[in-house]
Parts: sequence; structure tokens; C-alpha cells
Amino acid sequence: MATNRSGAAQRPNGAPQTKVCQFKLVLLGESAVGKSSLVLRFVKGQFHEYQESTIGAAFLTQTVCLDDTTVKFEIWDTAGQERYHSLAPMYYRGAQAAIVVYDITNQDTFGRAKNWVKELQRQASPSIVIALAGNKSDLAAKRMVEFEEAQAYADENGLLFMETSAKTAMNVNDIFLAIANKLPKSEGAGAAGAGGARRLADGEQPRPSSCCK
Amino acid sequence: MYQDNEDDYKFAACTYFAKNHPGETCGSNGLPLTPSSITILGLAQRLLTIEHPNLCTYLDIIRGKHERIIVVAEVVGKSLSDFKSKFTINEVVNIAHQVADALKFLHEQGITHRTLSDDNILVDGEGRVKLFNYGLYYMTGGGNEVSFPLGLPKYLSPETILNGGGPAADVWTFGIILLELCIGKLWQNLKPGPILRRILTLVHANNPAERMAREHDCYDAYKQLPENLRLVIEKCLKIYPRERATFSEIVDDLSQINTSEMAEVKQPRGLMGCKLQYLYHWWQLAGGDIQAELKKNGLIKNSPPILSMPIAILLDGCTIGGKTGALFDCRIAKYSLGLLKSRLSHISAHDYYPLMHERRKQYDAVSLPKIIRERDTEYQFYRLLWFQRLLHGYPYTAPYIRAEAEIDIPPLVRGDVWAALLGVVGDIEEQYERIDKETPTPTDRQIDVDIPRCHQYCWLLCGSAGHRTLKRLLKAWLLMNPQYVYWQGLDSLTAPFLYLNFCNEARAFACLSAFVPKFLHNFFLKDNSMVIKEYLAKFWQMTAFHEPELASHLHEINFVPELFAIPWFLTMFSHVFPLHKIVHLWDALLVEGPSLPLFMGVGILRQLRDTLLESGFNECILLFSDLPEIDIGECVKESIDMCRSSPRSISYRRFTNEARTKEPMDMVEIPMEMLFAEICPRISLSDFFSLICQDKSCVIDIRSNLLYEKSCIEGSINVPYSGVHLGQHELRALGLNPQRVLKEAMKVKKTIVVASAEDETAQLFSDYLVKCSVPRVCIFHGGISAVQTHLPSLFTTPAPPNKNGNK
Repeated sequence: MATNRSGAAQRPNGAPQTKVCQFKLVLLGESAVGKSSLVLRFVKGQFHEYQESTIGAAFLTQTVCLDDTTVKFEIWDTAGQERYHSLAPMYYRGAQAAIVVYDITNQDTFGRAKNWVKELQRQASPSIVIALAGNKSDLAAKRMVEFEEAQAYADENGLLFMETSAKTAMNVNDIFLAIANKLPKSEGAGAAGAGGARRLADGEQPRPSSCCK
Repeated sequence: MYQDNEDDYKFAACTYFAKNHPGETCGSNGLPLTPSSITILGLAQRLLTIEHPNLCTYLDIIRGKHERIIVVAEVVGKSLSDFKSKFTINEVVNIAHQVADALKFLHEQGITHRTLSDDNILVDGEGRVKLFNYGLYYMTGGGNEVSFPLGLPKYLSPETILNGGGPAADVWTFGIILLELCIGKLWQNLKPGPILRRILTLVHANNPAERMAREHDCYDAYKQLPENLRLVIEKCLKIYPRERATFSEIVDDLSQINTSEMAEVKQPRGLMGCKLQYLYHWWQLAGGDIQAELKKNGLIKNSPPILSMPIAILLDGCTIGGKTGALFDCRIAKYSLGLLKSRLSHISAHDYYPLMHERRKQYDAVSLPKIIRERDTEYQFYRLLWFQRLLHGYPYTAPYIRAEAEIDIPPLVRGDVWAALLGVVGDIEEQYERIDKETPTPTDRQIDVDIPRCHQYCWLLCGSAGHRTLKRLLKAWLLMNPQYVYWQGLDSLTAPFLYLNFCNEARAFACLSAFVPKFLHNFFLKDNSMVIKEYLAKFWQMTAFHEPELASHLHEINFVPELFAIPWFLTMFSHVFPLHKIVHLWDALLVEGPSLPLFMGVGILRQLRDTLLESGFNECILLFSDLPEIDIGECVKESIDMCRSSPRSISYRRFTNEARTKEPMDMVEIPMEMLFAEICPRISLSDFFSLICQDKSCVIDIRSNLLYEKSCIEGSINVPYSGVHLGQHELRALGLNPQRVLKEAMKVKKTIVVASAEDETAQLFSDYLVKCSVPRVCIFHGGISAVQTHLPSLFTTPAPPNKNGNK
């Protein structure tokens, strides 16, 4: 249950040619589909059966290493209940990546995921990388959303897609890595990419704004 | 006939194992199945509330290791099976009458005994009968949660042996016991198999009672019984359950035969006269250990782990061999109260009956932290008896209860005290009964997904009984408050009330219904954004008022409360802390009133102060996503201090349940946009006036020197706004005199009141003071002109020359 199966967060000291990029990532989706569990698995390698509901939002960070870059995710884990919808823009505004999560055992949550994708395409920064995660793949026996259906939808909309399981850790790190790979890591992308990317973090700029060589 | 040191043994424990789920299987929601022991605990809670003179009171249900359940209950005398001598007919009728009374009561409560036998009918020296462990069938969900069969074979009714049976099975068992009391034990040397066969052969008998008597060569003895008694036996021992008498009929019949008069129960005085629940509680505080005694009595045996390893484990997780469930162990371990008695021996008889008009004793323990007081035998002894007294007089004693609750609340009566603090009165059961809690609504899905995640570490809330009740409470509340909708978090808010009133759903509901309007008025509106924004803005102002340095740091890094404090206030911290902390937080909340939570928020920040001050935005937000350990006792103490030392008007909110004031002296309301922009709160004229009277304020007049010299508030100092360099965050920049006056004021914790002719300058200048880390800064509502209108007497002409003079 290592936090980073591939890459590994700890790299040899001072590998001189690594860039460090910071990206803001937001998780969206119906409540109880496993957003917080995915983040918890990714960040701490843990899984709580009775993960409590998220009110407002939670914030966590995790670093992953690609070949020549270190990517630091600033992850906003949002509340799923529709009523908290009005808070969502505060979190996805300026995000460079989003994971829209649904529960493969519940068709309604897939519908809701599609709505989130639409909203992101409309409102979020145009360059945002969106991944679709069909969570709870360990409950395949109760599957209500077919893999092919979701894959087709993802292809149509240019989304990354994986079925994940926060419980068994299947594809959890992979989906974050896939996002990290897809994010533009050239100069000027990263944090500054979208207007207001750092809106929530204006005060904290100890590192160079996006990438440093 | 029976004399022992009976008085010392008031309760006993028995133990058994709940069923183990084979393997680790998951329910349809992907969550693990609820362990049987949890289900049992949930069901058993109701038994804890049952009180009847012929039933042993259940005191506690404990979950031990490996699905072990320990049941603690009252005991008296000894069991029927322990009596060697025969009873006279009169004694028999008397015992039967009391047993029937108890069973009638249980059946009325919808509880089937099913395990009635001669070893759980207890009789004391005076012939009083109490049934022991009558809830085994009920708490195990009809035997579904245990792997052993319930009931002794010879007491099982024919239909029970065949397919389960209902309440009428108790009537049969009762009949068998009555028959045994009359003609002696049945089937004494037979093994269970043959006994069951014998019972089943009775199916063909016209009169099973007669047939059994004949089989035991007691036909004559049987025939010699008084006819009316024989009739009762035969009414019970009908083969078809529906033909059997009910217990209310049996009680009627027996009361006609029963001639023995029960001696008046003399309530013992002193310690033994206290409620059994209290005795048990004190006994535990005094060091009583249920499990240790069970081990000593051999009811819990430790075996080497190797012996409990299965021989084989199948791929699906099922195990073969290893530790297998034993039959029900009906032995009990009795507990002596000797320890507690000696511990409390020095307490005078007088102290057992505290009188309300007498001054309450002062205890040394009061200075200790609450958690320690809660574990102090003697302290809890006094407190419980005192609260019992006060609660007895509720609602007339409400003010006394509030005053006592301010000190602390004994955990054992917390549910009652909270209800009293919230003003719950009237026939709440009736009102709750009327509410439709079952009809499906669109909100159900959300409630269904939230409940299995709500405080699930608590074994009461994580069982199916807890889930069902919580859902009913939420649905009832939503139905009764159509103006509100279900916001995630409402589940957490309801949980503490359910936790404390697990078997009193109506009271949990009444408490929730009283709590929301008082503390969370309009928070659950469909559009609650303004309500929450106002609350957070006020919270931020209180932070600036009490923790200016921290506030300006957080302002600077743009760390706004919207990012972390919504769950704090929306759920009154019930989503943030575990239940054992929430109860202490809410103890204070219920006593102090609705503005305390704002200061609790500040109290939490204060505990994290050092970390926050040296953290940037990300570190701060991370800190709150995974809140570190907060010392609740400290937080409560600090927040009460802050709350009481703050002028009331500075925490004014418009979205409350209280009537809006029309009195200009009390007004502090400003448009919302202004509220969001102002870092410092506003103070009302009347609050200011009382501060002045107590010499607890320091007024800074920022008008021009010219205006100030014309007329000013007595004792104020003048710092003309035009001369202030807002960029320089140092008090020194204000000039020597103002610096000295401010320093002095800060030292004695005076409230700094900024008075100006315009709102804008007052706002900018007060921000400036906060940035200079000046605490307790607020703005005059209405500015100087309002003081001139309403409190003209405060004005004077400053003593010349104003630069040096400070009055």
C-alpha cells in the first residue's frame, strides 16, 4: 500500500534536472461515490470503510514523480451533496485538473458525473484536464454502469478514464499519474495556467510560481 | 429460609458469544456487515430502560473481545432451581402470580421471553419474585445473532421445537413451570433428545398436563391440586398456541386464588436506597471491574490462541474447526458492593437527601478538570444525588439546573439535563408518535448514504438500530420543519442527541427541535448562503477582536473561514469532533447560549495559534483538513472567558431567532456588504455606556483636532485620522501619548472603541489597530454623532492643552 507505487515520492537527493510543478486538482461527483476515499488512498495509502461525509471541502497535497518532473498536487476534495453545489466553483476555479468520480454500482451517479463534466467544460479553465473515475470497482458484482459505456463517453469528451477502487487501491495512483502525465509541464503552464489559479493561495508563494529548472 | 449477606450483592453478570459472520463479507453497499455483537448492543439498549417490580433491571451491556457480550443486571435472592424444599400451594400461587405479572408486562412491551426457566426466576427471602435475563431472546434478534439454541429443552413449547413460535410459547413454559412447582421436576434424568420427543408426543394428548402428571406417577397429586389452579395450568398447556390463555387472563385468574398478602416493600435508606443504576455507576468509578470478576469466577476463560486457530480456511473466508461456539452458559457472577460501601462509608445519612434550600456543599474536586471530576466516585455521588433532586422538580427547577450545569453535568444524567436546558416539556412522546417517519421522500437517498458514515466509531450509532432511529429522527425533523431542507451535516448534528437518548427517541427529537432554532436558526434553509456568510464574518470579527495578530496573518494569506469553518458551525462542531468531546462542548453551549460557538471557533484557532502564525496558506488549510488534537476542556474554558468578556453587541447577528431590537441604543446592524468588509465588530451605545461606567473602555477619537477640541467624549484621546500612516504597522507611529494610553489600556484589557464621524475612516483605522496587534478593538456604531444624540452627557471639552493631557 505504498503511497506511490510508481515513481516514488522520495527521489535521490538533489537530482539536479528535475522540474517541480504545482497543480491544483479538484474532485467532483455525487456524494458517497468515494471522492474522499480516493484522495485518502492516494495521499495516505489508507482506506476507511466509514469515511465520513465531507462538508464544504477538504484540502490535501501529494507529490508524484515523473521521469524528469516532480508534480505536486494540491487536491480539493469537495462535498458531494447537490446543495453544496454553489460552493463548487470556488474550488474548481483555476484548477488545472479535475477528477469526476462516479460509483459503478449506481447509474444515477454516472449521470451526475456527466453533468459535472459539462459544467467543467463550460465554466472551468479551457485547458483543464478532466479524468473520469468509475470508483468501487471492487463491487463489480453489483455493477450498474458498464465499462464500455463510460469509456465511450470519456472518449467522446476527451477525458481520461479509469475504473478505480479506493478499497483495493486499484488504479488510484495510476489515475493521478495519468493526469500528471497529461498536464502541460512547460514554462508558464502549471500554476499560472488559468486566471486565478492561485486565488485561494495568493499568500503562499515560496516556490517559483510554476516550474523551476 | 434464605439468608446470606444478600444486601451486598445487588447485581450480577452473565456472558455469551455473539455469532461470527463467516468470512469478511460485505453488505450490498460495499460496507462490511455489522457484527452481531453490535446488533445485540443496539437491541439491548431498550432493555436498559425497562422497569417493573418483578423484573431484574438491566444495568449494562458490554462488548468484550471476540464478539463476547456481557450482560449486567440486578439480582435478588436465589433462583427457583436452587430451592430444595417444596413450596406450599400458597407460595406456588404467589410466585406464579408475580411471574405472570412480569410476563404480562413484557408481552405488552412486545417482548417475548422465550428462555423462561426455573433458573432465571429469582425469589428473595420475603417471597418477592424477579425474572432475570428475560431479554436474551429479544436482544439477540430472536436468537438470530447467536449460534447457540435458546431455552432449555424441557421448557420449550411444541411449536417452538417445530418452527419457532411466538409469545404464546411463554404461556406454555409458564404452565410447565407451574406444573413443576406443584408436582416436582419433570423428565429429570432424560437427555435433551428424549425430552423433546416426549414433548412432541404430547401433541396427541387431550390434556397434556394430566398426561405429564401421569407419566411422572403424580396423577393423584395433580388431581389433589385446587381446581382453579389446575385450570390455570391446563389453560396454559394447550397444544395449539391460539387456544392458550393470555397472561392478562392468567393474572386475573391467579389474583383470585392468591390469598397471600405481600409485605409492604420498605425502601431501604442510605446507599442501598439509591437507584440501582447510580450504584452500578459509582461501583464502576470506585474501581469495580465486571470482566475481572467474570474471569475470577471462570466465566471468561483465556485459552492459548493456538487452540482457537481454525483447522482450515476456505477460499471464501469460511473457517473449519478452531473455536466453536459453546452452548449458552447460564452461570452468573455476582458482584459485591462492599468496596463501594466502604468507599462511601463516611458520608452522613443526611447527605443522601440533599435539600434544595440548603447551600450546596463545596467540593475540592470542582477545581479539577471535568474529565477527572467525571471519574471521581465521591464527587459523582454528590452530583448525581443533587441532580436527581433537581430533575425531579423540573420544569420548576429549570434555573437551578442551569446554574448547576454551568459547573458540570454528571454523564449519567446528561440526556435529562440537556433536555431540561433546552426547555423540553410536555407530552413529547405523543407529539413524536404523530409524525410520519416512514413515507419515502426524495431526500431518503442522501440520508441513506450519510447515516452509515456518521460517527460510526460509536457502537450505538453503527448498529442497525442506531441507523434506523437516526433516519427516523431526520425524517421527522424535516417533515416538521418544511422551511428547511436536508444539508449534509444535519446527521452529525442529530447524532449527539440520539447517542444520549438512544431509547428515548421522542426526547432526542424534542431536543433537536429545540436546539436548531436556538443555535442554528435558518442554517438549513435551501438558500442559507447569507446566514452562513454572516456567521463566518462574525466569527472572523471575533477572531480579530481576541486574536488580532492571528487574524491579520490569516487575512494576509487570504485564508478565509469559508474554506474550513463551514462544517464547524453548520454542525456546531459535531462533524469535527468525536462524541466524547462534543458532549463537553455542548454542555457549555447549552448553558452559555448561541453566541458561544463563535468564541469556540476562536478558541480552536487559539490552540493552533503558533502553528498557524508560521504557516502559509497551504499549510494552514492542510492543518484544518486533518485537525490536530484539540484540548476541549481548555477550548471551552477560553471560549467562555472570551464570550463573557465581550460586549454582547459585538457578536450580534441578524439571522437569529431573537426579536430584532428597535431601541437605537442597542442597534448595531449594518448592511451585509459592510459587515463583510469590516474586520472589527461594532459596539452598541448601551454596551459602550456600561463599559464607560465600569471604566473598561478606551475611546480613540479619530476626528480632526478641531472637531475634537470643540467637544469630545470624556476620557477619550484624539488621534486624527489624517495624520495616521496606515502603512506603518507600529503603535509608535501614532505618537507617544496615544501609544502610552493604548499600551495601558491593553494591559488592563480595556475595550478599544474607535469613534469617528465617518464609517470608512473608522473601518480603516480599526483595521490598522488590528494589524498593530491591538486586541479588543471595536467600532462605535453610528459614530460620534450617535453618541452626541443619545448620550450627550458624556461630552465635554477636552482639558487644554490636549496634546499632553489625557483624561
